[in-house]
Amino acid sequence: MKTPAPGATAVVTFANVSKTYGAVTAVDGLTLDLHAGETVALLGPNGAGKSSTLDLLLGLRRPDSGTVSVYGSSPQGAIAAGRVGAMLQSGGLMEGVKVREIVKLACDLHPKPHPVADVLARAGIAQIGDRMVDKLSGGQEQRVRFALATAGANDLIVLDEPTTGMDVTARQAFWSTMREQADQGRTVLFATHYLEEADAIADRVLVLHKGRLLADGTAAEIKAKAGARRIAFDLEGTIDEQALRTLPFLGALTVSGTTVRIQSHDADATVHALYGLGLYPRNLEVAGLGLEQAFVAITEAEEARTA
Amino acid sequence: MMLNLSYGALTKLEITRTLRNRKFMFFSVIYPAGLFLVIAGPQDNTTIQGTGGLTLGAFYMVAMASFGALTAVLMGNSERIAKEREKGWVRQLRLTALPGRGYVLSKIASAAVVSLPSIIIVFLLASAIKHIHLEVWQWLALTGVIWAGSLCFAALGVAIGYLATGDAVRPITMIIYFGLSILGGLWLPTTTYPQWLQDITVWLPTHAYAGLGQAIELGGAPHAKDVAIIVGYFVVFSAGAAWLYRKDTRKA
Repeated sequence: MKTPAPGATAVVTFANVSKTYGAVTAVDGLTLDLHAGETVALLGPNGAGKSSTLDLLLGLRRPDSGTVSVYGSSPQGAIAAGRVGAMLQSGGLMEGVKVREIVKLACDLHPKPHPVADVLARAGIAQIGDRMVDKLSGGQEQRVRFALATAGANDLIVLDEPTTGMDVTARQAFWSTMREQADQGRTVLFATHYLEEADAIADRVLVLHKGRLLADGTAAEIKAKAGARRIAFDLEGTIDEQALRTLPFLGALTVSGTTVRIQSHDADATVHALYGLGLYPRNLEVAGLGLEQAFVAITEAEEARTA
Repeated sequence: MMLNLSYGALTKLEITRTLRNRKFMFFSVIYPAGLFLVIAGPQDNTTIQGTGGLTLGAFYMVAMASFGALTAVLMGNSERIAKEREKGWVRQLRLTALPGRGYVLSKIASAAVVSLPSIIIVFLLASAIKHIHLEVWQWLALTGVIWAGSLCFAALGVAIGYLATGDAVRPITMIIYFGLSILGGLWLPTTTYPQWLQDITVWLPTHAYAGLGQAIELGGAPHAKDVAIIVGYFVVFSAGAAWLYRKDTRKA
């Protein structure tokens, strides 16, 4: 079967998929399509349901309700056909074997394998091929996992927080390798909690929060949604809250003692207007929202829109 | 053909790393041979009552060869599988085209390859030191039967590996291992046990296992009852292992 043109066919479909563990709802009525050739980031804070979603996609867990289909078959079927390569955080390595041996095993098990030497080189582990798997650093282990995920000609590559434990250089090298894979027409799905990583790599970003799909768009769209900034400053004397509430692009506003904290959708305009009120803010700080807060901002925006 | 190839790849790697594990090789190969020397060495070749003419040397040769094979397949599988489940290697393998049963079959096959030397070394010692003389067909049949019978315990090892986790797996394996070995008559002839205990032990897989080899030593074919018991346990252990494997998929 030939891979269809990008954007045309759904290669992965989640239809109203839910998964609970006891009282915790990890995935809550998730419906989405991934299309051939897309590079998609699954973005969310810890506990948002990213790993559970990937587990369902890979058939490691079965949904309580709804269906997951991958290349028109079950996840297990797609994996058995060699169409999916995956790199999991929770994926362990075989102990007591050499790096080259475990990579060779992955190649032997793949229906459409690449040559072992190529896989080692691409993952940047050709030099440590004779090292025992038990003796690797965290970053090296990640590279071995990456080699296992790319041992053959997969159509879809799934990565769960792949750059965990890598330093900046390794991170950059990793993503340039990943871009090569995407440029060859592969569909790439990766989970991350770094907004910057999603921004730099993905052409589509899915924001997951409490098991639900909160936003689905380009990185720029998501950033605009989560683009609120935090402004904090001190004021002397009595604080006129009424006046502060007239500031433009105002989100949340809290006053505690002499300190004022503001969220703004356009920090430059808000600060400019602040001086315009004739105030003299001291210890002025402007910072981006942390991802957690960005999600809260997006959630609030979503709720306001649907209310 | 693709499947055979992939089972082969994993089995080969399993064997490679087992051979690297000196501690494990020591236990599965040297330990039964050592026990044979310690237990059977000082004994003369008197015939054991109620065994149809089996000498102590012949009894212990089969008992210790069976015990060695049991050690290799049971201890090797249960602990390693439990550990690999915990470390996530089983999860990683589920993401390859290797079918689920491939992992289990590779474990059983590689354990069986490792158990072969432990059987042969006991035979060599018995023949050299205890002067046990058997026909060529008997040696071959003994090797084949003890080897094939060990598959039953390899399946048991897989089942324990999926049942137990972490700290529990070693004690559970040990209790089952020593319990089956002693009660089944791998360390002592069960004919020395009280009658009520003997009535129970004849139904144990280890008793049937030793019985296979002893029948051949006495010049006959294994008893149908022993074969049926071993096959029955093999089916139960394999089905249990397969069921636990599938259960593990749901919560892995």
